[in-house]
Parts: sequence; C-alpha cells; structure tokens
Amino acid sequence: MSELSATVMNLPRRDARDKLRGRTKYTNDRARPDMLHAVLLRSTVPAGRIRKLDVSAALRCPGVRAVATGADAPGLYGIGIADHPLLAIDTIRYHGEPIAVIAAETEKQARAALAAIVLEIEPLAPVFTMADALQPAARLVHEGWRGYEVITEGGARAGNIAWEAKSSRGDVDAAFARPDIRIVESSFTVGRQSHVPFEPRVAIGSWEDGRAHIQTSTQVPWTVRNVTGKVMQLPPGRVRVTVPPVGGGFGLKFDASIEPITALLARMTGRTVVLENTRQEEMATCLCRENAEIRIRSAVTAEGYIAGREAVVLMDCGAYGGEQVFLTTMTAHTLGGNYKVGATRLVSRAVYTNTPPNGAFRACNGVYNTFALERHTDEICEALGFDPMEFRKKNVLGDGDLGATGQVFEADVLGPMLDRMETLRASTGTSEAKADGRLYGIATTVGTWFVFVGPSAATVNLNADGSATLVTSGVEIGSGTMVQSLPQIVAGQLGLAPDQVIVREADTDAAGLDVGVGGGRTTVSIGAASVAACAEVREKLLRTAGEMLQTRPEDLLLRDGRVEITGRPGSGMSIPAVVAHAQATTGPITGSGAFTAKNTPAMSGCAMGHFIDALDIPVFVVHEAEVAVDADTGHVEVLAYRVVQDVGRVLNPRAVMGQIQGGVVQGLGYALHEEVTITADGRIAQDDFETYRLPLAQDVVPVAADLYEGAPSMGPLGTKGAGEVPILAVGAAIGCAVARAIGKPVRQLPLTPPRVLRLLHEREPPPEFPHIAPGWASNTLG
Amino acid sequence: MVVTFQLNGEDCRLDGDPMTPLVDILRQERFLTGTKAVCREGFCGACMVHVDDEAVPSCLKPIGLVQGCAVTTIEGLSSGNQALHPLQANFEAADAVQCGMCFPGMVMSLSAFVRDNPHASRPEIKAAMVGNICRCTGYERIVDAVADCLDQARKAGQLAGGIHV
Repeated sequence: MSELSATVMNLPRRDARDKLRGRTKYTNDRARPDMLHAVLLRSTVPAGRIRKLDVSAALRCPGVRAVATGADAPGLYGIGIADHPLLAIDTIRYHGEPIAVIAAETEKQARAALAAIVLEIEPLAPVFTMADALQPAARLVHEGWRGYEVITEGGARAGNIAWEAKSSRGDVDAAFARPDIRIVESSFTVGRQSHVPFEPRVAIGSWEDGRAHIQTSTQVPWTVRNVTGKVMQLPPGRVRVTVPPVGGGFGLKFDASIEPITALLARMTGRTVVLENTRQEEMATCLCRENAEIRIRSAVTAEGYIAGREAVVLMDCGAYGGEQVFLTTMTAHTLGGNYKVGATRLVSRAVYTNTPPNGAFRACNGVYNTFALERHTDEICEALGFDPMEFRKKNVLGDGDLGATGQVFEADVLGPMLDRMETLRASTGTSEAKADGRLYGIATTVGTWFVFVGPSAATVNLNADGSATLVTSGVEIGSGTMVQSLPQIVAGQLGLAPDQVIVREADTDAAGLDVGVGGGRTTVSIGAASVAACAEVREKLLRTAGEMLQTRPEDLLLRDGRVEITGRPGSGMSIPAVVAHAQATTGPITGSGAFTAKNTPAMSGCAMGHFIDALDIPVFVVHEAEVAVDADTGHVEVLAYRVVQDVGRVLNPRAVMGQIQGGVVQGLGYALHEEVTITADGRIAQDDFETYRLPLAQDVVPVAADLYEGAPSMGPLGTKGAGEVPILAVGAAIGCAVARAIGKPVRQLPLTPPRVLRLLHEREPPPEFPHIAPGWASNTLG
Repeated sequence: MVVTFQLNGEDCRLDGDPMTPLVDILRQERFLTGTKAVCREGFCGACMVHVDDEAVPSCLKPIGLVQGCAVTTIEGLSSGNQALHPLQANFEAADAVQCGMCFPGMVMSLSAFVRDNPHASRPEIKAAMVGNICRCTGYERIVDAVADCLDQARKAGQLAGGIHV
C-alpha cells in the first residue's frame, strides 16, 4: 500500500496564496487597453420574427470596429440535436437572446452604438410554460425542428418535445393490477436555480496565424473549441482554447455560450476582443438548473415491497435543447435509483418554451428527482404505516439489485451507509432542544448519483530536475482537483512529492481530448489517464535505471525522488540522474495515457433515447437534516445537517470535507430561498443579488460528515468523484424534514417563508398537471 | 474634476468624472484586479477596500468621495514579498479557499473586523460576514479560520502584552 500512503494526504492548495492576495488572473482580470470590447444586442421580447436588422449605421459610430449578426455565424450547435444559433437567425425564442454584437475601442462606445442598430421584430405569441408547450395546438418554439441535424441518434422528438428518454423494465401493468398492493401517487414541482459564479461568463478572442485563440472561463475547453468550429463553419482544429483559473462554474460553464462570438469578432477585426456578461446579463440568461414537474406512482405491498413504479418527468429546456436533452437520461438513474423496485417505467421529456435556456447545475436532474423520490417514499410510509428509516433500510439498492435500465448494482453500499448515519447521529447528538418552541422535524434521505466518466487524456513529462509536468485539458474551477488530487496521484505513482508535479492549465493545442470538468469526473477520468501516463514513464525510468544499476527493472521501485533497489532503502540513484542519462541515450522520458467509460451494460431493450444506459460508477449519499419552523413567519431554520458520502477512496479528506460543506450550502439555498420566476414578458425576474437570495454566513451550519470508503469503483486507487454529489439530497432532506415538522405534504421547492405559511394554513394548492395524461404510455411518443 | 488620494501608500491623481466608481478606477486604470467587481451593487463584498482604515465596497464609492483619503486594496495589504496578513495565512492553512473570487473582499472586510473586535465570538464573526457572499465554501471554514486567527492573536498578545492582529 506504499502507493496509497504516498498519495493520500491533506495537501493544501498551491493556488490559495495568490488567490488570497488578489494576484490570480481570472479571465475577466485579463482585459488590456489594446483590446476591443464587445457588447451584445439582446432581445427584449420572448418570441418573434426578425423583420429587419440593419447594422450599417452602428458600423459608422465612433470607435466601432465590427458588428456581427447571425448571418456571420450560420452554423447551429447543441447536445444531441443542433438547434442553437450563436446569434438569433430570423427567429427570436427568448427574452435576452443575443441578436447582434458590436466590437469597439471602448465598452462605452460599443454600448452607445447599440442604439444605432435598426431592429424590427414581429412579435409572436410566447409559449412560457411546459403546460402551454404540450397543448395539442401549441405554437412550435422551433417550427423547423424536423430539419435539425441529429448529433446523437435514439431520442424520440416531436414539436415542442426536444427529446424524450424512456426506461422500462418488467411488467408494470401487472404490478399495478396485483390485488395485494396499494397505489400511492405524488406530484411535485420545482423551480430553477441560478449558479451565480462570481466570475461571469467571459471570453477573450484573438485571431493568430489563421486560427482562433479563445481564452475563457469554461469547464469544457473542448466543447468551446468544437462549438466555435461548428458555428463559424471551421474545422474545430482551427480553434485553440486556453483556460485561466475559473472563478466558479457549478455547471453553468459546462456548455459553450458567448465564447465563439469573440473568435468571430477577432477574425473580422484582426484585434483581440473581450466579451464579458454584466451581472444582469449573466443572471437573466443563466443556463439555470431547470424547472421540472414530476408525477410518480408506486404499487406497494403491505409488507413494504415496491412491486411497481412509474413516473413522468417534464424538464423545461427553455428556448434551446442544451444540456436538458442529455439530462433526460438521468431520470432512469436518479428517480430510478435508491430502491429495489419490481417493475418500473419512467419517461422524461425535455420541453421547449420561450424562456431563457436552461443548462447543467451540480448534480443536474438528480437534485429534484431525489427530492421527489424521497418525499414520495415518505408519502408511501405514511399511507401504509411504515417507519421511514426501516422502510429505507429494507428497500435500498444492494448487491445484485437491478436499476431502472436493468443494470446490476454491485455490493451493499446504501444499507451500511444508513447504519453509519445512525452512528454519526449518536456521536453528534440531535438538536431538537434548539427548536425552542418552534415546529421541529428531522429526516434521513438517500440519493443515487454517478461519476460522469468518458474520454480523458494525459501526458507526463519527467524533467531533469526531478519534477514532472502533467499536461491535460483539466480546468481548476475551485474544486481543487488540479491542485490537489491530480498532483497527489502523479506524485504517488512516481515516488515524488506533490510539489514536484507541475500541472499545466488547459490548452487544447497542448493536451488531448477531455469531456470537461463536471459530473464529479476529473479525479476519476483525468486521474486514470494520468496513472496510465505515469505507467509509461515508470517503465522507461526503471528500464534506464536497470541498465545503469545492472539490475532487473522489476527489482526496482520509485520512492522519495529516487530509483531504489527493492528492500534496500537509500540504494540506487536519484531520478534526475536517471532522467539525464535517458535524455542522452534514448531521449526524454515522457508518457501518455488515456481513459474512457467502460460502458456497463443495461438490460436489452430497457433504455430508449439514453446517452448513458447504465452507470459505470454509481455514487450514493445519505443526508439527514434537522429543522425548526416558525409557525408565525414560515421561516425554516436548519438546526443540524449530517452527511454520509460514498467516496470510494478519499485522496484528500480535508478537501472533500470542503466540497461537502459548500455543496450542502448550495443545496440549502435551493431548498429554502433561491427562487427564479419568469415575468409576464418572459424575463427571469431575479437578475441581481437583491432579488436572488443566496445563502449567507448566518444561514448555515457546520455539516457533520462521514466519508464512506470501500465501495467498488473503476477510478484510480478506487476513487469516486466527491465534489458534485454533496448537493444531491439536500432538497430531499430539507423537504422531508419540513413536511414532518409542519405535518403537511411538501411538494414544491424552494420552501420560502410565504410558501411554508401557505402550507401550514392549507392555502398552498397542490401541483396539478393536466398536461400529464393519467395513463403513463400516453405521455410518451411511442 | 481632479481627485488626489493615497493608493496603497502612493500618491494618486485622477482627472475624470467624480461619480466613477472606485472599483472601475482600480481595475481598469490601475490594473489592481485583486479587487473584484461581482455584483456592483454593494451586496457581495468582493470589491471591499479600506478607505482610511474602514472597509467599504469600492463599487459604491465614487472617486469624488476619496479625495484626500488613504485607500488600501488587497494588493496593498501584503505587497511584494511581505508576509501574508495573519488572516490570509490562516485561510491558506485551513484550506478555506475554493474558486477564490470572494476572498480578496473577504480578507479586506475581516481584517478590519478582527483589528476592531479582538474578542469577537463565532456568531459575531458570522454577523460581520453579512456583506461578504461566498458561493463555493459554505462559510464555516472561513469562520473557523477567523476564530483561530483571533485566538492566536490573543495568545500572542498575552505574551507580548498587547493585542494586534
């Protein structure tokens, strides 16, 4: 286990000191006086046709160097289907949609020139809600949906249904027809969540030697490269993307948005162009966690066996498909997770509306499906008289159990984690006394998530000073993977100290393909590629050292910066001596490694329209919340919060604890007060810090957490991603705890004080979905 | 209008619109980008600077109002090779930083707070952070580090016969 002992540690962040001194240059700190500034003309109507767009007068305004419109970048991009133009072409589909862009010597000049653009829009009747969009006679948000390029085959589509994914296993009709079951049905609705990264989306584009170079605050350099190529109709290889430190992402920067515009303007002007969203723009066009509507029904026996389950999940993708097309896949693994179920069928649909497009947000889809599933589970327990903890212990997924797509889960993980939660609670005690006369509730909930694996590449160069340079397309978004887990992994493989591992920041010209930093994948996927690269380096190093020491390579090991003969500490020679010899004889020592998903099988015919049929690395959580509800004001105070998290193997316990605290607090915001609503003219109403209520220091409590190690994982050293999942079950735990405190069903988030008061006084109408048909099959495209 | 003030200990003379927010001068004219312009409305605290030793959001401070004042930015708190401020050292040691965008403002707010409140309790520290938002960390580790910093200063003060953070 020496490799492990050289890897696992509470390594501090190497980037902390500069960040604390304000010296770190994020993308939006890199504007220079010689750059052009770009500003966007955005739509002020939610739906319409562009009748006239004349930019000639704007082009003559002082300081203006270029004006671009959709005609300058005619390609469409998207995930699954290419439906999204860079700048609106002919049709306006949301309030805030970019229509034209001006580059000028100063931002002030660019803004002044906006008024000179002649724009005439013929308004169209907007489709604001999924209920409207699913009406048989609804206007189509994308009239030409049939003509779009399909990038990934398999999803059913029709009209305002951008994508539909289904999973079906076993005879659900037979399960619901059994004489010995009771049927419990629940409906839930949740709003959007805005990421609010402190650094907004920003990019700096230049045109160098016939190629675009975009510096940007992104989680997905390769997506930005590919999308830029697509919209500019260039081979993607003519786009280079580099990524400075990122001031927060949380999933918002997991797709391309404004970045390609800077490349377009750079090509037009030959100048470097900076484009940064204002805070208002950032929030008004945030690719939010989507609002969703969920109906779930279960057939449960008196013994507590879940014989059958079916659900319909509607996900609002807004004006363009984006991530929601992909995320329809996740319902099978989140709403279809947690529990053993006899027969099950689930459908999730991404629905177009004339609202700002939604996107990815930490534990996308899982957060609200876990809320729905856990509240539904509590409603089952209440209807049939089961103890919620005992029901969960009896029914959580264990070794050999089947998931919704027929995937076979390995090992008992959730069951032992529930036991560990009871141990944790015994050690911390409970906080009921702090409720001090208010209504008190406690709830324990479970959640199922996954590591989004997929392609990663790594190169390791071993240098003559004994250091190693790790070259990948990984990005440091704040989670610490690039400054903690990855250098720890490489150091452990090569017998170095982590500070001897130099980590190159992402550059698509320097490193191979990577899916991006998100889905809890960096430590696992880039880590595994790095381990593979280190294996090649090791092999070359030991072969050279073997020749120098006249010893067989298999009798050598790497430790403390030396190549040693096994069993003889201090023997052998220093790594720099071996590297220098290799450089002179066989050439520099480098290694490259690659990794991708293993594509765990689903049961044949169970998954339709899915991007991922089964989870390669499931991740489980158990969350427990204690709350006090003020019956006079509806205010919910979180008294205590506990987490047991499946981490596989923890490489940096302190860093993981930091992710858990931060992720839980983002979840508390989602559960309690972060609310996004759409105005009558289709805008996001909360477009500043005054109207969007983020968690503050006084809202939060220290999270008590227990890291559960040992569950199977294909990740390097048995790791699983740890940064994504802490937010997963917070809405669930808070929703269940508040429902118990107030003795009323909670079916909607966030639980703002007015909503809690309405629930207490039974004035909150339960969600009703006339656009979801009673029969499950009627909610599918067949 | 001409405005003169001290910026990180040096004379600074500006000729321009006195209503220009200080943060824009710092970032766009002086390239002191450690001061972050996040919400630009005084809610987030990422642009906090010291004006005559008081922590203020530089987005709400028109330059006309800093005439004759001493302005210190995060770059001026521990410049060059100087040692970190004890708060910065504690944040670093506690692994409190994530994306890092809020920290310059957090350091500027809290360095004034710990100077003026050497005996602050945990709830008082949290109350002092009401104008500094962090989206990444969930706050508790920051609070712990501030409490540790005060603790260390008190212990050092007992030895040296005075309290100075």
